[in-house]
Amino acid sequence: MLKITNLHASIDGKEILKGLNLEIGAGELHAIMGPNGSGKSTLGHVLAGRDGYEVTEGSIEFEGKDLEGMEPEERATAGLFLAFQYPVEIPGVNNAYFLRSALNAQRKARGEEEVDSMNFLKTVRETLGQLKMDDSLLKRAVNEGFSGGEKKRNEIVQMAVLQPKLAVLDETDSGLDIDALKLVAEGINRLRDPNRSFMVITHYQRLLEHITPDRVHVLSDGRIVETGGKELAHRLEAEGYAHLATEAAEA
Amino acid sequence: MSELAEKLAPQSSLAADDFSDLRENAQRALMQHGFPDLKTEAWKYTPIKLLEKREFQPAPASTSSLPELPFDGHVLHFDNGILNADETKLPDGIKLTPATREDFEGIAYGGREDAFAWLNLARFGQAWRIGIEGELDSPLVLAFTTSDDFAAAVHPRLFIDLADNARASLVETQSGGGEGMINAVTNIRVRQGAALDHVIQRGGGDTVRVARTRVDVVRDAEYRSYVLDTGARLGRQDLNVFLNEAGAVGEIDGTVVLDSRQHVDYHTSIEHCTGHTNSRESFRILADGTGVGVFNGRIHIHAEADDSHSDLNTANLLLGEMARINAKPELEIYSEDVTASHGATIGQLDDDALFYLRSRGLPTEEANRLLKYGFAAAPLEGLADETLRNWLLRELELVL
Repeated sequence: MLKITNLHASIDGKEILKGLNLEIGAGELHAIMGPNGSGKSTLGHVLAGRDGYEVTEGSIEFEGKDLEGMEPEERATAGLFLAFQYPVEIPGVNNAYFLRSALNAQRKARGEEEVDSMNFLKTVRETLGQLKMDDSLLKRAVNEGFSGGEKKRNEIVQMAVLQPKLAVLDETDSGLDIDALKLVAEGINRLRDPNRSFMVITHYQRLLEHITPDRVHVLSDGRIVETGGKELAHRLEAEGYAHLATEAAEA
Repeated sequence: MSELAEKLAPQSSLAADDFSDLRENAQRALMQHGFPDLKTEAWKYTPIKLLEKREFQPAPASTSSLPELPFDGHVLHFDNGILNADETKLPDGIKLTPATREDFEGIAYGGREDAFAWLNLARFGQAWRIGIEGELDSPLVLAFTTSDDFAAAVHPRLFIDLADNARASLVETQSGGGEGMINAVTNIRVRQGAALDHVIQRGGGDTVRVARTRVDVVRDAEYRSYVLDTGARLGRQDLNVFLNEAGAVGEIDGTVVLDSRQHVDYHTSIEHCTGHTNSRESFRILADGTGVGVFNGRIHIHAEADDSHSDLNTANLLLGEMARINAKPELEIYSEDVTASHGATIGQLDDDALFYLRSRGLPTEEANRLLKYGFAAAPLEGLADETLRNWLLRELELVL
């Protein structure tokens, strides 16, 4: 599904990712953990194709296709989804209208038929219900006036509607209370599918209590420094990331 | 005398009618003061030099067609500036009559900043009075249209009077082509307990339009205007709202969308003449290409106006590198017992928002359009009449 080879990326000439290697197979869920400033969010933005994030070396292959040169909307259409750490408020743009436009833009670009508004609303209402969000959210502007938790859940709603092949969740668990965390985890688990993969970027292991990662990677100073199973997340929670700095310095 | 005065106000040819003395007086004032120039503060951004380049002809014989409106309304069609009243059927609540001298009482203008008002007073054709009583079942529509060969300078003059406790929606539309000028002056009275929603939709073409509206609001009466202006070669609008008695409410919400070769200038003022009066204003300009937008919003709270509240906000989007926007909120407060707030911003489309939309699969152009729409629609969302609101929002979509 995703194959990242020796990825180097910079912002404003400052190198953040320094030779990152990572492979995620179809149907797998990988967790990326690591201290602040290790490059976790940069990785998410580079995958989604954000302007200003320059890939200087290495490659990203998504389903065998090189992502280089693809616009963010082309990546989305190809099946890549980024749940934002800080979802953006868009005043005046109706949530339902936005989501349907996005879905239809993707379908149109893929040569599929557009969804009619009845079927669309049915799907969205169902998803909202599962995430215990009110229908009235559809009529409100995208993320405007949403609480932190609502914004994060709204990202999961979007993911469920857009049905990506690879979902990159950038600290979707941060700022959630335990109930919201469970709802988000359920939202992710409902979408687990042999043909869909997840990259879950997180600072803490508490989300990983509710979703089962196939692999856990530790990102430090722009590189994956350790890879393991679920137990690695527990160890990190107990030990913290402090030892990584020493190891990186020694390396 | 300037070339422009000669062109627009030749010494001969004043109409001889009941208003002759008013006309002569206005003509003299215009000659004395002249037209505003770049040193006239209130007109420094308005390039009226454009008028000097135009040759004005008598009104053409051809007629212009009404725009299709997706709602029922009582339509008064000002065809190339002329209202054909014979063809107009109106309900009992609307009385259309020729204006009388009484309607002009108390009208006073100043120096060269009022040149176009003087010009109108000297040159207006048939002035009309529209009286509104009770609650209108559907909007009164004033449709100003021009034909492509319209090259005249016309000066419509209207008096609109809402009786005590009347409720109405008034829709003013302006559309069509031609290189003429419409220089309209409108006086609106909203009497005790009455409420008027004034929807103004203007757009397109090479016609120069100058519009000056004065609204007088008295005890417990409410005036709300919603403006959607989608550009003109040259447009200048003055909207002055006077809150004269306690309980009076005045609100102005406006959106202006401009592209290349367009210049639109809105000067608004809200006068809190007495205590217990409330106002709110929200105005947005989006300028692309070489478009130029001007907004000057003045709030004036008089010394007598204790316990008054006012909020003025203008937000603006510069979309083209060559576009310009001049936005200025102006607060003059002489009473201490008031709350007044204001804000002004000029910015560009938000990169974060753009990336967010694109990351969901929206092509750049559509993401841009959606962001512009979201920004531009905000002032129009408060319009209570859903049909009119949806109509304005559709008109907005068409130009984004």
